[in-house]
Amino acid sequence: MKHSPRVSALIALSFITALALAAGPPPGDVGPTYAIRNCRIVPVTGPAVEKGAIVIRDGLIESLGPVDKVKVPDDAEVVEAEGLTAYPGLISAFSNLFLEQPARPEGQGAPFEDFPQAQTQQPQEDRFPPGPGLFVLDQLKPKKTTVENFHKAGFTTVLVAPVRGIFQGQSVVLNLNGEPIRPMVVRNGAALHINFTTERGAYPSSLMGTIAHIRQSFIDAEYYAARQAQYAKDPAGLKRTEYDPRLEALAPFVRDRKPVVFQCNNVEDVKRALKIAAEFKLNALLAGATEAWRAADVLKKTPVPLLIGLDFRPPMTSLYATQGDELRKKAEAEIYPGNAAALAKEGIGFALVSAANGDGAPVLRGVRAAIKAGLPAEAALRALTIQPARYLGLDRSLGSLEPGKVANVVLVKGDIFDEKAQVAKVFADGVLFKYAEVSK
Amino acid sequence: MRKQALPLPFLLGLGLLAAAAAPSLALPGAPDEGDILIKNGVILTVTKGVIAKGDVLVLGGVIKQVGGDIAAPPGVRVVDAAGRYVLPGLIDSHTHIALAGTNEGSEAITPEADVGAVINADDTSILTALSGGVTMVHTMHGSANPIGGPNVVLKTKWGRPSEELVVKEALPTLKFALGENVKQAGRTVQPGQTQRYPATRMGANAIIRREFEKARNYMERWDRYKKAAAAKNPPRTLVPPRKDLRMEVLAEVLRGERVARVHSYQATETLEFMELAKEFAFKVQCFEHIWEGYKIADELAAAKIGISVFADSWAYKMEAAEGIAYDAGFCAKKGVLVSINSDSGERIRRLFNDAAKTMKYGGLSEEEALRLVTINPAIQLGVDRVVGSLEAGKQGDIAIFNEHPMSAYTRCDMTIIEGRVYFDRDLVVKEREEAAKKAAAPKATGGVS
Repeated sequence: MKHSPRVSALIALSFITALALAAGPPPGDVGPTYAIRNCRIVPVTGPAVEKGAIVIRDGLIESLGPVDKVKVPDDAEVVEAEGLTAYPGLISAFSNLFLEQPARPEGQGAPFEDFPQAQTQQPQEDRFPPGPGLFVLDQLKPKKTTVENFHKAGFTTVLVAPVRGIFQGQSVVLNLNGEPIRPMVVRNGAALHINFTTERGAYPSSLMGTIAHIRQSFIDAEYYAARQAQYAKDPAGLKRTEYDPRLEALAPFVRDRKPVVFQCNNVEDVKRALKIAAEFKLNALLAGATEAWRAADVLKKTPVPLLIGLDFRPPMTSLYATQGDELRKKAEAEIYPGNAAALAKEGIGFALVSAANGDGAPVLRGVRAAIKAGLPAEAALRALTIQPARYLGLDRSLGSLEPGKVANVVLVKGDIFDEKAQVAKVFADGVLFKYAEVSK
Repeated sequence: MRKQALPLPFLLGLGLLAAAAAPSLALPGAPDEGDILIKNGVILTVTKGVIAKGDVLVLGGVIKQVGGDIAAPPGVRVVDAAGRYVLPGLIDSHTHIALAGTNEGSEAITPEADVGAVINADDTSILTALSGGVTMVHTMHGSANPIGGPNVVLKTKWGRPSEELVVKEALPTLKFALGENVKQAGRTVQPGQTQRYPATRMGANAIIRREFEKARNYMERWDRYKKAAAAKNPPRTLVPPRKDLRMEVLAEVLRGERVARVHSYQATETLEFMELAKEFAFKVQCFEHIWEGYKIADELAAAKIGISVFADSWAYKMEAAEGIAYDAGFCAKKGVLVSINSDSGERIRRLFNDAAKTMKYGGLSEEEALRLVTINPAIQLGVDRVVGSLEAGKQGDIAIFNEHPMSAYTRCDMTIIEGRVYFDRDLVVKEREEAAKKAAAPKATGGVS
């Protein structure tokens, strides 16, 4: 087909505009202003508005309310959204997005072949790759398709956790507002991540060794921080503490109680993590925790934020997995999806997370299974919005639709957890992404 | 011999019970009050003789009364044991069941690697143990290291959360190992790794000595610091020593707060270790396996060190070549505190068979043989005040056998822990039959698929 030069120019122009939109405004620029009109609004922290409007300016929510009460600014581009429901962008407080190597499924051991071979003569800090000082942000390669897949499942915000080693490194919170990584960063060094795994051919080679190693590391970090504090107060007569990059990275987590996320693959891991957290007074969060309901008594006594995964396969060591296929399948279909529902019933707080899923659709399938197993849909929504925002200390800017908060808005045809739900448009940091053209 | 392998449906049956309970928070094996009355059995108390026809009453998990004609308090479950044998739950002094991992084999000295931190209450070996009347196990670090890690004592409460399994009354123990396992554990190396020291028996002895020297220094450093810190005006520049988990555990051994359980096979290495223990003044509670124990029975008895051994199956490797079936019986008669262990998640269900072998090899009586898997291991674990015999005041851990437990024809019918039934053969058989029936039933009878 041949276009006239004028038509071609128009097409090119609109293409450039689309690119510019998708990439988001350059930092410091004033972004576009939008007025979403005639949609149902579910703010999560307040009552739903049946026919409402939301004004987005420069990446933030300027105002929202019933459509007749919200003034559409003169400069706003109107987004007609009749028949759609606006939700706050969903948050996954634990994911492995954009990591080069595929994340391993939960419940499986570390991909040993990826570990550098242990050298007995190596210095201490190299023997525990990659270590607490690693920032996963430095390893991320964002992909447009992944962003879109998560948008289509309603997600606008993810915490990306590192995947290798025992002290895996520090995570980053990203707002999925395009492809370049820097504008996405909400908070780097969001949490330290610890996994109960082992090192091949090197210490520790067993779970009990790993637990001893984790404890000794925190003991050393406390000691290091205390020596530094003592020295800072008055160095006279004191020997300077030798600089240790590993302990330097760990110190803030014991000294300032920065968040520490433990990957918990089974019910015993939950208890192990709680013991370590109590010993070192850590600000702990437990991720995975697909058997958390089995530790409900302990969790009620020691409340701790749970980042519940939606992988319903019983862990390999579980009594539901070791007694034959019949029970294992039954457990996967009927028992494990009930984890979140059982926790909610006991009044134990949690967020739902995408975990190792590289795609958003299976996450929503998991949420639907959890709802089917008895989790109230409203609780599920909170567990994907305001609850993770609180756990990450980001609830003043994320997790609900309120004036002043970041404009992460998802426009959905149907209920967001309905199987037939379709995400029509997503605003992330006020950047508009268009997905499905939905009929009214 | 009857094939004794536990069929899958048995395990599955109990598992389905578990499944039925979830996802509500009720766990399998949910406890009642721990009240039970066992009537009209032959009561083998172990420590207070045999009652030809008697009853055992357990209330709130504790044995209230052992004797004849005990009336059932209202609401208490009554088990008829007429014609059957009622005995204390068996105790396995040396196993590795219910753990996520056995050896921290990467290094030779790992007293910080505590098996108590890696309990796996979902291990189906617990079920296997219950089916053989075993109610308590000493589950241990493996034998790859001269100094392994702390061990833990558990009750076999299948379906209960791990923290409820731990026996807090038990003596803290630390695993040591001598001989071939230690020598060979470092032999398989990863590329780039050098072979682990020690590679000889003398090396094993030397490295253990070296670690205790280090631990002594460590304790002295802390003592000096604590003394200085307790002074009226401690110097501002006072710096505490670094806390070292490895040394902390060895310090517990040197202070007598934790006892040594030592894997050893041969007489010479065992005597050497006894010398080492004397030198550092720490307590050896028990030598494990010790096939040549009969050669040094007098020395063991004099030093009041127990042994925990296999009943037979010697000569499976060079260092076991001089093992004899009479080891346990002979040592017991010499006054050594002997227990028979399984060291296995499978042999654990016929621990009583293994104990009975000492009657043929060693000439022990039925009563003496039964002690090897009841009160003797209880003493070794420091829990004889609370378990190991049927006496008022002890915990209600009870096994019911159809024949005398030292008979070749016996089997365990019921296993009770703290008054709660954790294994009931009748129930299991019934469930198995139902499962078989269900499996054999035609899949879909009518209807549209």
